Amino acid sequence: MKGLFADHIDLSAQVMQLRQKRQNVVAGNLANIGNPNYKARRFEFEEQLQQALQTGQGGRLTKTDPEHLPTGLDQARVKGDLSQETEFRVIQGEDAVDLDKEMAVQAENSLLYNVLAKVLQKSFSGLSETITKGGR
Amino acid sequence: MDFMTAMDIAASGMSSQRTHMNTISMNLANVNTTKTADGGPYQRKEVVFQSVPVSDRFESMMRSELDREVKGVKVVRIQKDDRPLKQVHDPGHPDADQQGYVSYPDINVVEEMANMLTATRAYEANLSSMTTVRSMVAKALQIAR
Repeated sequence: MKGLFADHIDLSAQVMQLRQKRQNVVAGNLANIGNPNYKARRFEFEEQLQQALQTGQGGRLTKTDPEHLPTGLDQARVKGDLSQETEFRVIQGEDAVDLDKEMAVQAENSLLYNVLAKVLQKSFSGLSETITKGGR
Repeated sequence: MDFMTAMDIAASGMSSQRTHMNTISMNLANVNTTKTADGGPYQRKEVVFQSVPVSDRFESMMRSELDREVKGVKVVRIQKDDRPLKQVHDPGHPDADQQGYVSYPDINVVEEMANMLTATRAYEANLSSMTTVRSMVAKALQIAR
């Protein structure tokens, strides 16, 4: 922890932003639900996030000497990828967006967003508690 | 890209579905219409949706690729369905031809009902995305509490 605010605050804020983008993508899919030529879009960032957190396949670099540089969190790399689903779906001739899938993505996304908002809220209220009550 | 984008997209979807619903109502209301302003019986109408960028062209140039890819929807036109007319034998009808047949629009009430349900579900889907965004904004505002 470099300053007053813990590292996870920035990270949580960024993930919230990414989740907000995902919500926008879902909204776009839902709006175009009856549009024959529309392909559902997906917004993925989890893998990049894993890599940035170095808990993905590469694994965390081990420090064998106290003078080794710490491997910091490279969260600026996490930008997210937008992809279009390529498979054709034909339901009554025109349906290209899977309503159930979109709803599931939306529910999960908003739930995790709310969790992150709660985490941030708690960390700030904890901080202010420390400030106000620490001196007593 | 902000919360307003999601709101705008959901709103565009809801308004398009409303137009769809109006068109279906129009079809149902005109099941037996034999006279129109263009002459001849009423012809079934169908809406055509198109995905459109959320922001105007100049604004979208300033945005990232991701923001440009996320699209809303609008109704580009309401087009006539060219299916053949239904011939009903009714010599007493003022619009009957020499053989006593009247041309009615071939509107299938069950088909229109099914379309109506689809439009309702699509409308609800957009509504749910708007509700979700709203609750997300409310949660984000609570961070500072």
